[in-house]
Amino acid sequence: MQKRKKKWTKRPPALTIVALSIGLLFLIRLYQVIDPLMHSGILQNGVTGPLMVDSHLTPLGETMFTSISYLLLSLAGLVVLVAFLRMQRWSWVVLMGWTAISLMITLVNYFYGEPNYLVMASNVIIALALNQAEVQRIFGIRIDEDDYDQMAE
Amino acid sequence: MTKWPNDAMPASTSDLDLLRRYEPIISFTKGEQFYPSDVERYVQECSLWSHHPDGHDELIIREGQLSIERLIEQRPAPFGTVYYLRFIEPLSLAAAAEVLNDQARLRQRTKNYFHAGLGRLARGGLLPRVLDALFTISFLLRGRVPAASAAAAELDYFHLRAQKDEFIYYGRVVRQNGWIVLQYWYFYCYNSWRSGFNGVNDHEADWEMAAIYLYEENDYVAPEWVAYASHDFHGDDLRRRWDDTEQLDFDHGHPIIYSGAGSHASYFRPGEYQAEANPDMPWWVRRVSKVWNKLWIDALGQQKNDPFRIPFVDFARGDGLSVGHGQPKAWTPEMIDESTPWVSQYRGLWGLFARDPVSGENAPAGPMYNRDGSPRGAWYDPLGFAGLDKVPPPPAALSLLDENAKEIQERQQQLDELIPQKAADLQGLGMKLRGMEGSPHLAKQHALLEKRLNALGDEVRNLRREQSENIALLHGLTEEKKRLSQGIKDDPRAHIAHIAMPVKMAQLRFDRVGQAWAAFSLSLLLFGIVALMLLDPGHLLAELTIVTLVFITLEAFLRGAFVQTLGRITALLAMVSSIILVLHFGFWVIVGGLLAMALFLLLQRMREMSG
Repeated sequence: MQKRKKKWTKRPPALTIVALSIGLLFLIRLYQVIDPLMHSGILQNGVTGPLMVDSHLTPLGETMFTSISYLLLSLAGLVVLVAFLRMQRWSWVVLMGWTAISLMITLVNYFYGEPNYLVMASNVIIALALNQAEVQRIFGIRIDEDDYDQMAE
Repeated sequence: MTKWPNDAMPASTSDLDLLRRYEPIISFTKGEQFYPSDVERYVQECSLWSHHPDGHDELIIREGQLSIERLIEQRPAPFGTVYYLRFIEPLSLAAAAEVLNDQARLRQRTKNYFHAGLGRLARGGLLPRVLDALFTISFLLRGRVPAASAAAAELDYFHLRAQKDEFIYYGRVVRQNGWIVLQYWYFYCYNSWRSGFNGVNDHEADWEMAAIYLYEENDYVAPEWVAYASHDFHGDDLRRRWDDTEQLDFDHGHPIIYSGAGSHASYFRPGEYQAEANPDMPWWVRRVSKVWNKLWIDALGQQKNDPFRIPFVDFARGDGLSVGHGQPKAWTPEMIDESTPWVSQYRGLWGLFARDPVSGENAPAGPMYNRDGSPRGAWYDPLGFAGLDKVPPPPAALSLLDENAKEIQERQQQLDELIPQKAADLQGLGMKLRGMEGSPHLAKQHALLEKRLNALGDEVRNLRREQSENIALLHGLTEEKKRLSQGIKDDPRAHIAHIAMPVKMAQLRFDRVGQAWAAFSLSLLLFGIVALMLLDPGHLLAELTIVTLVFITLEAFLRGAFVQTLGRITALLAMVSSIILVLHFGFWVIVGGLLAMALFLLLQRMREMSG
């Protein structure tokens, strides 16, 4: 029986750069998940106190909430990363939107004296890589004159 | 017996019959209010004025007393004086209201309505719309034709047509450099592009021109090129070859002109044309924009767009009245040339001098002159007008090719003799030079001889290059001659650098909401800013940023360009962030760059060695 050959589409280097940057951001976010849990001793001792008192979050609850939020963000990032590597159009849009919001937040934080240069740099790399004409064409984002001709036909 | 090409006419045909045989059909857009008409009757309806250099206007001849004979009377005047006609006299407020009312009733009666369809404002982004608003506001400062004038002109023209429903062109036949040029001049009482069709300008009187270029061979004349005057195009771009049926429409052998609604600009294809006005910007704005564009396109990979262009639509749909051979209305031709008194002896404007510094609202001068009274290029150089001054008529092409080929062949013969001679001289000098080597006392002569040798070497090299280039040129000429002899023509559009094409419907993907948004968004934004200034002036900057972002996002959604806008906004934010990073980590950016370069080179070399 003949073996079915798997068809590989060659990814441009910009895609690999974006994937690596998302990976880096994933690691940063994972650190942001684990670090508060370590500091509050939840990882070592488990949840030892109440998370909410009078419908307000306790410091322990806040730590848990922050960690869970970052964890969800990291997991969503992983899903987008997989879709991105499979060159799905929606992943480009989500990633670009995400990067825009993230850049905006990092810039606001910077001007309020809380800079996060690592996240800023990763976002810049992602934004510039996603804006490459070649990448936009692969994801069907850029429509050139010739494509309009085909649409008209 | 010689076989005549299609559409040919006997060489003995009179000028008037030639004009009639090839007269173009003009296909107008539904809603058009003015058609080519008679200058004499128009002049009788006008008054004659002069605008003096000190700024005052003087009435010279009253309406109803003017005739062509009185128009062309010579009137000495100081430099800077502008003579002009006035078709519509100034209207009082009450008269203007009455005229507008009458116009509405007339349109209802004639059912001559215009529907803009996909609005022009929705065809541009937010920034072009801001510029468009400034352009509209500029009319408050610039001179312009009053609003009710268009309505009054429409009514007056309607009455003129009611007296005599005639469609006139002024035909001129010129013979130049082997070409027979048929010029068709069309006079319109009014250009209502702005008031009637949301275009760039309005002005009294409008002159348009089309030309057909014939050549004579044996006992017939045949058409080869057609050129229509149009906005923004010049020279070669204005003409199409007679056999280019993809670009030219014909009806019974008559080419069709699709006339722009109100503007009367001529187009080869029916459709809606995006005429773009580029308002004058200060030099520094242009320079900043150039640098920005370079960065935006080259470095950030964004698509090219000129934010300073205001989109105006020239509607040349061809769905209205058609005038010409076999059409509902026929032409009445009138021949003109330099001996026609009103053509050569009246150098003034054919309508109101609106004192518009950019001239868009000032009436034009006649067929022979520009607004400043200087001769009009299309009149004195009808070949240069369409870039045909460098093109020979087809029958002359073969003999010109032969002449060129003969000239080159003669030169090749000269070169065949000259090159071996010079090459032998060069070898002789080389040997002489070698003989001098090793003799220090001949150093001076050696240097001189070396200089001569180098000069001769250059000469031989240049002659050989010329010989080689001539071979290629001869080959090209022979091929061209072969094609021409066999009657094979080259690409009919090879001469065109910029071609006017109607906007493709696939590029107009917006609906009614999008159009409404395009029409009202700017006013809404201004209302919003005023509200913020009054209600919460403390946080104006932050709020303005948020409001602008909301507008941009809404705009992007409605125009179906959300993804592109998202990309642009992110690129912009990335640029700001990059500047911050460079300012803070300049040193490390350089270190990182050098490391990346070193790694890249290392990988390249490793690949080279392993490969």
